[in-house]
Amino acid sequence: MDIFLQQLANGLTIGSMFALVALGYTMVYGVMKLINFAHGDMVAASAFVGLTIYTQVMGQATSLLAVIVIFLLTALTMACVGVILERLAYRPLRNAPRLSAVVSALGASLVIQNGIMLVWGPRMRIFPELVPQVYWDFNGVVISMIQVIILVLSLVLMLALYLFVEKTRVGAAVRAASIDQDAARLMGINVNSIIALIFIIGSSLGAVGGLFIGLYYRGITFNMGWQYGLYAFIAAILGGIGNIPGAMIGGMLLGLFNAFIAGYVSSTWADAFTFILLILILIVRPTGILGERVAEKV
Amino acid sequence: MKRTLRNILLTLCAISLMAGLSWAETLKVGVQAPITGSYANEGQGIENGVRLLAAQVNAKGGVLGQQIEVIACDDQGTAMAAAICAKDLVNKGVKMVIGSYTSTCAEAAQKTYFNAGVLQTSDGTADSLTEKGYWTFLRNSFPNSAEAEFAAEYLVNVKKYQRIVVISDFSTYADGLANATEAAIKAKGGNVVSRDKIKADSQNFTPVLTNIKSKNPDAIFFAGYYSDGGQLRAQQVALGIKADFYGGDANDNPDFVKLAGSAAQGAFIINVPEPAALPTPIAKNFIADYQTKYGEMPPSIWGLMNIDGMRAIIHAYEQNGNFDNKKAVEYLQNMSAPLEGITGSIAFAKDGNRIGGAYVVKRIQADGSYANEYVQ
Amino acid sequence: MNNLNRFGLPVFILVMAVLPYTLNERWQAVAITFLVFSVVALSQDIVLGKSGMFNMGQALFFGMGAYTTAILNNHFGWPIVATIPLAILIPAIFGILLAGPIVHLRGDYLLVVTIGFNIVFVQVLQNNLGGVTGGPNGIFGLDSLKILGANLTSQIAVYYFAFVVLLLTLWVMSNLEKSKPGRALHYLREDQLAAESIGINTRVYKIFAFGLGAGIAGLAGTVFATQYAAVSPEAFDFIQSVLFFSIVLVGGSSIPGVMLGVFVMFVVPEIFREFATWRYFVFGFAMILAMILRPRGIVPATFGKIPKFLIKGGSHGA
Repeated sequence: MDIFLQQLANGLTIGSMFALVALGYTMVYGVMKLINFAHGDMVAASAFVGLTIYTQVMGQATSLLAVIVIFLLTALTMACVGVILERLAYRPLRNAPRLSAVVSALGASLVIQNGIMLVWGPRMRIFPELVPQVYWDFNGVVISMIQVIILVLSLVLMLALYLFVEKTRVGAAVRAASIDQDAARLMGINVNSIIALIFIIGSSLGAVGGLFIGLYYRGITFNMGWQYGLYAFIAAILGGIGNIPGAMIGGMLLGLFNAFIAGYVSSTWADAFTFILLILILIVRPTGILGERVAEKV
Repeated sequence: MKRTLRNILLTLCAISLMAGLSWAETLKVGVQAPITGSYANEGQGIENGVRLLAAQVNAKGGVLGQQIEVIACDDQGTAMAAAICAKDLVNKGVKMVIGSYTSTCAEAAQKTYFNAGVLQTSDGTADSLTEKGYWTFLRNSFPNSAEAEFAAEYLVNVKKYQRIVVISDFSTYADGLANATEAAIKAKGGNVVSRDKIKADSQNFTPVLTNIKSKNPDAIFFAGYYSDGGQLRAQQVALGIKADFYGGDANDNPDFVKLAGSAAQGAFIINVPEPAALPTPIAKNFIADYQTKYGEMPPSIWGLMNIDGMRAIIHAYEQNGNFDNKKAVEYLQNMSAPLEGITGSIAFAKDGNRIGGAYVVKRIQADGSYANEYVQ
Repeated sequence: MNNLNRFGLPVFILVMAVLPYTLNERWQAVAITFLVFSVVALSQDIVLGKSGMFNMGQALFFGMGAYTTAILNNHFGWPIVATIPLAILIPAIFGILLAGPIVHLRGDYLLVVTIGFNIVFVQVLQNNLGGVTGGPNGIFGLDSLKILGANLTSQIAVYYFAFVVLLLTLWVMSNLEKSKPGRALHYLREDQLAAESIGINTRVYKIFAFGLGAGIAGLAGTVFATQYAAVSPEAFDFIQSVLFFSIVLVGGSSIPGVMLGVFVMFVVPEIFREFATWRYFVFGFAMILAMILRPRGIVPATFGKIPKFLIKGGSHGA
């Protein structure tokens, strides 16, 4: 039972990171029908940006206030990068063939990934220990402070996003744009602004996810974006692409699945099992667990 | 005025042409190392060291009158890139190749160098490297089997651990060291409660560690590389696993301590003595020169082992008075007295293994520095 | 465009036939890489460009061919040449089996599933399934090419091996265009519903395209394994699949376009060795720019054969 609960805690921690990143994929896909392959690399970039903000801007301060400022500045920076990315690489292709935008996204992914390498170097960089190493032992199940922070902060952010999309006027416009862009435009919704907003939200959440990776694992490399991006994207599909609560649930489930497979079956086969699960789900129920919320772009 | 300028330019051209011509007579030395990728830290250390030694030798007039030209190839720590590097370096006409850092990459390149008669000297510790009978291969470190024997002796008979866990990744080196250690522990009557494998670079080791926790180990021996070892140690502590952590030689890198953070304290590393502890003047001078040139310490002992391999080959050329690789190897295997090296005395056995080697167990202290716990 | 087909191809073949004698060893190796990757990119074009299926796992079949050759040669002592039939057949069969349940999936999902296949494949290789794949190191020290008792160790021999394979691929592709399956693929790519309504079994032809592409990629894998006398999992990583995918779309689903894409991706970086670290950075920008300026690819398929998914949104682009 101890082991089960411990793996559950591990899985939820990883899962909430997947979920944060998955939201970026699912929202962009919802409105633009585009797999934003660069999103994973944006997440990786945020970890490096956060590291630089820590050393250069904050003067290596480790107070709670400093950590909050690092999160805010990183999210702000990445939101700007996200908007620029959309402006330069995706907007010119809004009416072009579907695959042109996919290739453009792959190109953007290469640019960002190798941009990180050119700026910060090919070596693994090491994140400072910003969260004190405090652990609580519940009858053999050990939970660390960083795990609690990651889980709580992720849930708060996801709840806020959910309320924003479901309960506000702007949120209704986002939903409208993802159902039918043309109709939304006719209703007086500025689709360009909605798309920019989606990139701001997606990139900021991704930035938080990237900082979590840095804080939790400490070692960050320029090419780690693909790994997390791919997992997060699978999470988005699991939950039903375009579906915001779906991405949250998909992320959590994927984290748990991965932890239990690695723990109970084999850690070396975890990736393979994850993808086999994905393939089976797509064959049996292609619209994901909660169902996709996108209109077929014809 | 114009004419002077033109004359100066012409002279410059002539000089550079002559310089160009003299290039034809160079001793080409290849560096095959993970200059990018997870082990970039080590790879760059090897390249830096080779370039420093080459500059020093060149300043003294080169080898038998030939200047050394260094050609580096990045094998990224992956076998395929290593195979490509090997072909590339051979095509460029190198006489010897220094590296690579990982056994995997050294092994992937071995046959190509053997076929071309190019000498290869690597710090790779996998036993399989010297078991193929390639005369071109000279190991400048000590084989896994020696470390496994030492580690098992220490864990079982010195510390008397009752429940030992052995972990590795899938690489030639790590898997080989872990298997050899597991076998040696069992041979000494020790108890291995779990033998686990992790995927290098996968970062999340908590599922494996959670399983290990349930087996209640009192010691964990990790045979992989520092980039995983540091994270493994941090996650071990985070999960409240009280067992003593022992990292194999490839964990001996400053990044291990940085990655593990405050969890690094109390972890042990098994290796040959680290660069700063090297006693001889030759070592002190080289490390001082390295620090002057690059502004940092060599990342680990491994780069220096490779430099010793290069020094040995150059020494053999000079003693023989020619660049015949076959004769150079024969000389190195039959030296009357070992050559004094940066990392201790250098001599090679018939199978290309370096002779000798003493291990130490080092404890990581609160400030991240090492304290010798046990010396062989 | 017609001129290019009439004169371009023979001139290209002529130049490639004498090329190795003008190159030193290093550039011969680059030229072989160019030929091998061209074959893989063309096989990807059969699935992606000619049939319109979003396949992002072509490196799987490339790798399967290479591993078939390596395993048969290294573990069972087969000569390289004798491994060719199985190096084509095994990937082709796998292509058919894998494609069966997934060809009906919508574009993006097909793309993700094929990435998934590729990742599972690489993990199988790394975990040394059945003890024959050599784990993460792969397999080293394959024999050299032996034909009729002659031991062809030189790079020039490997070059002509690769060249013959490329010619074979070009021949298959030109025949495909004229054949019944080729026409069927053409129709179903243009309008799947219409193709089905006139009695074309789209599922069968889609699976056929997958199998054909996989077989050709497998053959390219044999050449690859022979060139380096080695195979290892990361050479067939899904990142490689992403590159082949991009090459077909950037080049534009035509033979000159695909070859141009391979040239830019794999040969140009060799020319600018000093800027090796900038390679992917620059290539990424080039991909974005190429798509914005020429959304249908640099050298699009000739008029009338432009895949439907490439001409959507008509008035935009070149």
